[in-house]
Amino acid sequence: MAAQGVRASEYQVKAVFLFNFAQFVDWPAEAFPAGDTPLVICVLGNDPFGEALDQTVRDERLGSRPFQVQRYQSVDEIKICHILFINRSEGARPEVILAGLKQRPILTVSDADGFAQRGGMIRFVTDRNRIRLQLNLTATEAAHLTISSKLLRVAEIVRRTGS
Amino acid sequence: MAKAATFLLLGLGLVSVTNPAFAQQPDSAAQALKHLSIEQLMNLEVMSVSRRPERLAQTASAIQVITQEDIRASGASSLPEALRLASNLQVAQLDSRQWAISARGFNSTTANKLLVLIDGRTVYTPLFSGVFWDVQEVSLADIDRIEVISGPGATLWGANAVNGVINVITKDAKDTPGVALSGGGGTELRGFGTARYGGQVGSAARYRIYATRFARDPSVLPSGLDAVDDWHLGQGGFRADWDASTISHVTLQGDLYDGRIGQPSAGDIAVSGRNVMAKWSRTISETSGLTAQLYYDRTNRDIPGTFGEDLDTYDVDLQHQTRLGARHDLVWGLGYRVINDRITNTPALAFLPAHVARQWFTGFVQDEIALVPDRLHLALGTKIEHNDYTGFEIQPSGRVNWTLSPAATLWAAVSRAVRAPSRVDRELYAPGQPPYFLAGGPGFHSEEELAYELGYRHQRGSFALSVATFYSRYHGLRSLEQVNPPAATPIVIGNGQDGESYGAELTAGYWLTSRWRVRAGYTELRVHIWPNPGSTDTSRGATESQAPDRQLFLHSSIDLPAHLGFDAGLRVIGEIARPGVPAYAELNARLTWQPTAKVDLSIVGQNLLNPRHIEFGAPGATRREIERGVYGLVEWHF
Repeated sequence: MAAQGVRASEYQVKAVFLFNFAQFVDWPAEAFPAGDTPLVICVLGNDPFGEALDQTVRDERLGSRPFQVQRYQSVDEIKICHILFINRSEGARPEVILAGLKQRPILTVSDADGFAQRGGMIRFVTDRNRIRLQLNLTATEAAHLTISSKLLRVAEIVRRTGS
Repeated sequence: MAKAATFLLLGLGLVSVTNPAFAQQPDSAAQALKHLSIEQLMNLEVMSVSRRPERLAQTASAIQVITQEDIRASGASSLPEALRLASNLQVAQLDSRQWAISARGFNSTTANKLLVLIDGRTVYTPLFSGVFWDVQEVSLADIDRIEVISGPGATLWGANAVNGVINVITKDAKDTPGVALSGGGGTELRGFGTARYGGQVGSAARYRIYATRFARDPSVLPSGLDAVDDWHLGQGGFRADWDASTISHVTLQGDLYDGRIGQPSAGDIAVSGRNVMAKWSRTISETSGLTAQLYYDRTNRDIPGTFGEDLDTYDVDLQHQTRLGARHDLVWGLGYRVINDRITNTPALAFLPAHVARQWFTGFVQDEIALVPDRLHLALGTKIEHNDYTGFEIQPSGRVNWTLSPAATLWAAVSRAVRAPSRVDRELYAPGQPPYFLAGGPGFHSEEELAYELGYRHQRGSFALSVATFYSRYHGLRSLEQVNPPAATPIVIGNGQDGESYGAELTAGYWLTSRWRVRAGYTELRVHIWPNPGSTDTSRGATESQAPDRQLFLHSSIDLPAHLGFDAGLRVIGEIARPGVPAYAELNARLTWQPTAKVDLSIVGQNLLNPRHIEFGAPGATRREIERGVYGLVEWHF
């Protein structure tokens, strides 16, 4: 009932989800070489966000860390990255991308069909104009990411591993 | 303070995130959204300018969606082949190029109760209210998805959505950047090649251009002789998408094709055509949007010895949706179409008059009512159409969608649909000069359907299940009436038959592991057609509906180590008792190797179980048989 009448642009909301994930995930220490290493949200492939992602994280900090947005065309170019959004077109066959990440501690997110079942970590599912989350816990564990129970409660947990 | 107030108002749903003020300052929308909890974000309704928000009419209907991944995995090399992936369709291949495709029965080569749209453009010939499948050559790699709805969709969709709608949606140009080349060849699909380039103009406009060409082997006759229906087609086209602003989107697209198909005598069939389309959508407010589209389509077909047709179609559509109060979502639209159809008559058959211009006016309105918000929704609507043959036709429907739990949905619908006359029904004469053996019926009126549907959908994690059941009653189905009974000829086309159909469509999908997905589809269908008192039609529907009682599909897609993928699809199709097509089972399979991220190498086997099999048509020396086929494919993206 609360949300009746409220409609926002799809990628504006997804950008805010990405920003929120930073607060619900614990990365292993090696993911942040320095105390002020920024928290980097990366977009692989075509960027569907436009300005929305930059605007969402502008002037935001997670503790002492500022946020940064990076865009990459190929998985091999990715340097420091904590949350990786993979565009729908690339995410439909995620195996090559995920293999390229070699289980680095990067939270992988996409809206592609079957992403969480195929070894990705979080998939945005649009269902009756609302965004649901699917979470592959085996994949997050393999990358040594700890997911807060707050996120676990609202996400749909998908079975099986993505090795 | 202001932030706290915004948060509170958002939480209560009293202020919208994309109201005009926010739309101009997306930055403040981002700021406002950040104050929502994850749960609140998940409860927020989203909309995208480029994608039509999902309507209840779709969720409360027997919809099956064929994804790009499904098409790839299947090894399909044409749109009709891809449509075999929807188990709620009856798909049968007649020869190298002709297909009979329908939903809920009433299948024939001139099936006339299905609406087929490619990006909103109706690919339909007013000649028989059906589709010439041999010229619907969509570049399969550029398809985003195909929505297949069985059952009447007449209220929301265009004319002719009596028993189903096939909605082919191609990718936005922003999803097809760079160069993609593919090509290959084999035994049935002799050779093919496609080149596509996607580019960008400024930051807001993207485009792609493509060209494709193929050659297909002839089918065979029962004697083993070649049916001389080899088929060649070349096509090119473009699509451009422009985000004119954060709230408006413009799409321009077009295609051009030219092809030749062999015939045993009288020379090759020549087909050609072109179309161009403009679409504009605009978000007016958080609860309201406007879409307009305009297209022109031309097709030319010359079948030496049978007939020739030049058809021009002009179409314009407007659609507006808006929310009224807290519980009503209203969508309404207007459409106008005019066709100019010129037939070249032959001694074999004639359409009289040979040249016609016809127009259609349509209007529709539908209200989606949240009886219990997020739980129980009702959609009531009607379409009003005016055509030159029968005047006004009214096609109302009522649909209800009940969300039992986040995983489970129950839906039900009652709809009325009509199949308006086409040129075949009223204007066809055979032979081309009197005395006629067969004549169109000057009094032929619309066929009517009343359909009742009940469905259930379940989706949880890796498992999805859908069941749709239906019962339909038909009045005034097309019949062939003896003019001077008991003399068998001449005959005239009438509305002398009634009928009913019932059945169930089941689909299930499951990810066995992260790398192995299986899907199944099963359809059970009965169609009964009988002559009304006074009718002299004795076919009992055999000419109007040729569909198997049941069909079963099993698909498996597995990702193997070493960048290999293996996909297989089995179909088991029941017999078509009349006119006598035996039951058959066939298997398609595809093995793909991705040596690098940029290259895919595949080998595809089609109809592997039998050297030859029959899918459609009456027994006889000229019934064509479909051969086993194998082809190789190389795809390169950069």
